[in-house]
Amino acid sequence: MPSRGRRQRRGPLGRDPSGNLPWDVIYCAEPDGTVPALAFLDSCPSTIDAQFTAILDAVAAAPPPRFSGGGKWEAMHGAMGGWYEIRLTGPGREQFRLFCLLENGTSEELAKRGLRRCAIAVITGMRKPWRTTFSDRDYQRVRDLGDDYRRQHPRRIAT
Amino acid sequence: MTDAMLDVGLHERRRARRMQDRSYRAAYEQAARELAQTDAVIQELDALRVDLGMSKAELARRVNRNASSVRRLFTASQVRPELPLIVALADALGAELRIVRRQEDTRPRAGKGRRGERIAAAS
Repeated sequence: MPSRGRRQRRGPLGRDPSGNLPWDVIYCAEPDGTVPALAFLDSCPSTIDAQFTAILDAVAAAPPPRFSGGGKWEAMHGAMGGWYEIRLTGPGREQFRLFCLLENGTSEELAKRGLRRCAIAVITGMRKPWRTTFSDRDYQRVRDLGDDYRRQHPRRIAT
Repeated sequence: MTDAMLDVGLHERRRARRMQDRSYRAAYEQAARELAQTDAVIQELDALRVDLGMSKAELARRVNRNASSVRRLFTASQVRPELPLIVALADALGAELRIVRRQEDTRPRAGKGRRGERIAAAS
């Protein structure tokens, strides 16, 4: 029996030590086919889009509950409990946020959602000037998108 | 079952397409390097903790922090890793942080005079 505290041998950075596959990254689509997260990313400065993508890749490679994403991937709390956000600062200190849900569960549960493995579901994003806040209504819109997304079996995602 | 599975390849395809843009690629690669370093530091600290058989609560006690703050740090739950905390955790685990110059650094360098001043200041 392994001794308590024995370090599990890890592979190259970005590999899950348990040997699990990295997670997928998927984008929620609305009934009319629009993809809020991609519309948001496409509207961001190129460098911000690149940083969001790099963070998504890092988290997908070393998924929760491990630390990854360089501290820019955070679990949200309160009314947004169960959500994760990526927080970036752009030119002029403009604030960019990408809102995500985790798709994890048993293989049967994932299969019902149309997923082969766990995934980060990117729902939407928002931006705001420095030292301003999003309104409750803004967050409600995010939650509404997420609630609608989670009602779909299989999930409605951009392909 | 396979037929019912969704095509999840869009992210990869989008990244590949966007990476054709040089400024996007440069920003992505810089971000990836920075993320990898931060993640490696935190993951290495957690691995050291596990090696020593030390609970997160015990580690938190040793650096005079709440157990929840250390737990949040290792699980990326509301964290912005602070250098003083990282240094304190490393010390409590019998380790230390170092800055190591990359062997092949292609970034533009500061002028000779400025670099010389820095070296002098550091010696």
